[in-house]
Amino acid sequence: MVMENQKFVLTKKLSSLIYGMIGIGILSLAVSFFIGTGGERIAANLLLNTYYFLALGLIGLFLVTVHTIAESGWHTSIQRIGEAMSSFIPVAGVLMLLLFVFGGLHLLYEWTHEDHLDEILLKKVAYLNAPFFYVRFAAYFAAWILLAHFIRKYSLQLDETGDLKYYRKFRIFSAIFVVTLAITSVTSSWDWLMSIDAHWFSTLYGWYVFSSMLASGTAVLIILLIVLRRMGYMAHVNSEHIHDLGKYLFGFSIFWAYLWFSQYMLIWYANIPEETVYFYERHKHFSTIFYVNLILNFVVPFFALMTRDSKRGSLILLPVSVIVFIGHWLDLYQLIMPGVVGGEESGIGIPEIGITIGFVGLFLFFVFRSLARAPMVPKNHPFYKESFEYHTQY
Amino acid sequence: MNKYITAYYLDEEDLLKGIGQMKAKGLKILDVLTPFPVHGIDKALNMRRSRLTRVAFVAGAIGAVLGFGFQAWIFTVDYPLNIGGKPFFAVPSFMPVAFELTVLFSAFAMVIAFFVSNKLGPGAKALIHDERATDDRFLVVVEVDDSLADENIKEIELALAEAGAEGITLKA
Amino acid sequence: MYTSPLREPLIRGNKNYKQVTDDILSPMAGKPSKYWYAGITLAGIALLFGAWATFRTVFYGIGEWGLNKTIGWGWGITNFVWWVGIGHAGTFISAILLLFRQKWRTSINRSAEAMTLIAVMCAGFFPLIHMGRLLLGFYIFPYPNTRALWVNFNSPLLWDVFAISTYFAVSLVFWYVGLIPDLGTVRDRATTKIRKAIYGFLSFGWTGSARHWSRHETVSLILAGLAAPLVLSVHTIVSFDFATSVIPGWHTTIFPPYFVSGAIFSGFAMVLTLMIVTRKALNLEEYITLNHIESMNKIIILTGSIVGVAYLTEFFIAWYSGVEFETYAFFNRAFGPYAWAYWIMMTCNVITPQLFWFRKIRRSVVLTFIISIFVNIGMWFERFVIVVTSLHRDFLPSSWTMYSPTMVEVGLYVGTLGLFFTLFLLFIRVFPVIAVAEVKGVLKSSGEKQKLTGHE
Repeated sequence: MVMENQKFVLTKKLSSLIYGMIGIGILSLAVSFFIGTGGERIAANLLLNTYYFLALGLIGLFLVTVHTIAESGWHTSIQRIGEAMSSFIPVAGVLMLLLFVFGGLHLLYEWTHEDHLDEILLKKVAYLNAPFFYVRFAAYFAAWILLAHFIRKYSLQLDETGDLKYYRKFRIFSAIFVVTLAITSVTSSWDWLMSIDAHWFSTLYGWYVFSSMLASGTAVLIILLIVLRRMGYMAHVNSEHIHDLGKYLFGFSIFWAYLWFSQYMLIWYANIPEETVYFYERHKHFSTIFYVNLILNFVVPFFALMTRDSKRGSLILLPVSVIVFIGHWLDLYQLIMPGVVGGEESGIGIPEIGITIGFVGLFLFFVFRSLARAPMVPKNHPFYKESFEYHTQY
Repeated sequence: MNKYITAYYLDEEDLLKGIGQMKAKGLKILDVLTPFPVHGIDKALNMRRSRLTRVAFVAGAIGAVLGFGFQAWIFTVDYPLNIGGKPFFAVPSFMPVAFELTVLFSAFAMVIAFFVSNKLGPGAKALIHDERATDDRFLVVVEVDDSLADENIKEIELALAEAGAEGITLKA
Repeated sequence: MYTSPLREPLIRGNKNYKQVTDDILSPMAGKPSKYWYAGITLAGIALLFGAWATFRTVFYGIGEWGLNKTIGWGWGITNFVWWVGIGHAGTFISAILLLFRQKWRTSINRSAEAMTLIAVMCAGFFPLIHMGRLLLGFYIFPYPNTRALWVNFNSPLLWDVFAISTYFAVSLVFWYVGLIPDLGTVRDRATTKIRKAIYGFLSFGWTGSARHWSRHETVSLILAGLAAPLVLSVHTIVSFDFATSVIPGWHTTIFPPYFVSGAIFSGFAMVLTLMIVTRKALNLEEYITLNHIESMNKIIILTGSIVGVAYLTEFFIAWYSGVEFETYAFFNRAFGPYAWAYWIMMTCNVITPQLFWFRKIRRSVVLTFIISIFVNIGMWFERFVIVVTSLHRDFLPSSWTMYSPTMVEVGLYVGTLGLFFTLFLLFIRVFPVIAVAEVKGVLKSSGEKQKLTGHE
């Protein structure tokens, strides 16, 4: 079949759009410096975006690997999208490293201000110190990049040869990645995000951030799938596949809200000052974003995706996915900004919007590059036929 | 007095094919009895989509409003109490109970509506055409009016036979 | 629907629809085996022990228990949480696996749901008995009264009342609605007038009409969609009993999802314990296959690992917080006077489930059975450790003391074990232990024979 070997072709129009977005990003960064935006705010935006798109890459791979070890059949037809998202992981690693090394570490994290460490921060010095921080950073990215590399390699080899030994390797590395991500996503969120508010702590934090990225990653997968279909690719994907993704978006959004509520309510209820100070800052100076976060990430997907039909096509699913994507960006915003920048200096302006557009462009660049490198349909995957002839009873 | 012509299949795929053929011949099927839900039968019999989902949503909404509203009323109007320094209108505290009542109302309303709309319930009498309809036979039931002439009955039976059904019987 | 030949069959033995009915319903006919009688006798003795303990508690008061001012909650609440947790697997299998379209759930969901209902009954017993004055138990419900008082909606203990009641009610309804078609089958095969009358009544007039089936599917899906967040919410609210406090070891934000994972973990272990025995005793090995056991074991690795990660997180953050009370709480757990309980918990919960990474162990019935028991022991100790070690040494050293259960408390626990097994043994005699209609529904796609007719 012609379709089975179809690879993505980057049109001139698309590549101009992407280069344009990246251009806007670089320009916005320059302009921000020029107009005197605080270094903290710029660093915070760079952290926000590198983390956000790194997470999208990790979740893309997570969705592929989880479905692999669960022996899910339907997911094989959209597998390439998740793989493509994961191609951004090393890029994020490089950008994050540059950010930290060139002043970002000092601007973002008060525990790096060695002369100002109070007694609470002194107690954490064994974990929160720059050398150990970088060692962990290297370990995370080494693990993620290596695993992503092998998983992608075996996926492509399976497709080229049809030899099931590659499927077995693919599965084993998938399992290793899932376990690795389960632990490293939690610890990396402590390192890069939670330590911004270094006087505060929450055991749920790692899972909360993970759930946020899971919902957003699903949303981005949906957006990419719908966009590809509108371009004429992925014709074998039917409303059943889309329905399943819609169900995921619905479920993950509810799960995120559940974790949001758990963390918030428990800290509210016990009313212990060293914990409540975290939300106090957000209520005082970031209250609009704090509540808009809930509306975009829970209220909208919950009510808009409740009906069966809403999840079976792109009419409602596409706008809701975009809203969730923006919503979780705002979620990260209110995780990072209050601690780094504070109420007076922060806002949603050129740095926020422009730099984000740049990152969207950069992300798409690598996603489409990956899609162009291999047939979009893993025709030799043992469960591919199930995915192709996908009809469910409900 | 109602009479019924029943016929059965031993395989659900044959059943679906047969129903298609019967519909093409204009046969009016009263009911189809199967031991388990057969995928595709909704379409074949032109069944409209169930309204039970709407019952579930509305009842759930009522449960949510009632649950949240009742707690709010108790704590702000009827008997405000200072519990551990929490505000009277303690929104986070009210969520768990409101959620549970949403689920409770939704589930019960829908299940009751299910029983009512199917006329099922404790003490309901089942009209059993073939005891193996709940075992391994896929039954098609055609209702026969008393006024129907014998030759019409023969027509129906012939149509059933041509559609591949077995065990065609006329019973009171 | 096309199913890859790479997938292992879910129903072995080249069954047709009639055989499915026969195989599953035959244990309900005839006399019970001597093992059944032995089982129910043992369970009955345990129940009697519980009856004695109940009598002592109600007649003489909570002083019969080993609780004291410092440690106000001991075995009672440990057992409550343990039983509720076990119950969650049933709903997980029925609801969440239905939403994920896991066909293998069809052989175990009926028994698992029954297990849930029984476990929730056992759980509910503990809040009731710990009130002392059982007859005033209705005080916990908000009804207009002469005291002009309402219940305290700010209390997680009250949220529990609503959560557990709703959970029991919805699980009952979900179980029963699913059971009705099978009861119709039992009715139609009944040979005696009495059986026909009883199952006729219980089956609510079910005929198998396509219209009824269509609505039945809708109801099942929506109930699954409701039951899934419900099961998460119930153990979350149970975790709120502890997490809303200020005690180190109790007040920690990870409790809600961690408790839920732990619940599914122990619940699946109990399902395995029950199903491994049931499949052998009732000759249902072709329906509850090694594939089913392996799938359940995979969920055990998943949830057990989540629990393990949660332990590590709590431990790390206890140090990271720099709060000396928090740090001490965890130090005390591992090295204090209750360290023996802590290490039993760690071994059973963290190490044993990881064994299931090995395929040979995943597919071994004997090893699975042993591991499932260890998991449940481990999860009991987890609740014990959380409850008792956090209470026995908190902020004020002058209040530090020890707790040990009295024979009465042990008796209540053993009594609920007796209740559990008694009811389950009765269940397998009175109801079909496997969802007959659901298994038939997946027979074509997942049975050993790809195409079957009924022709003998």
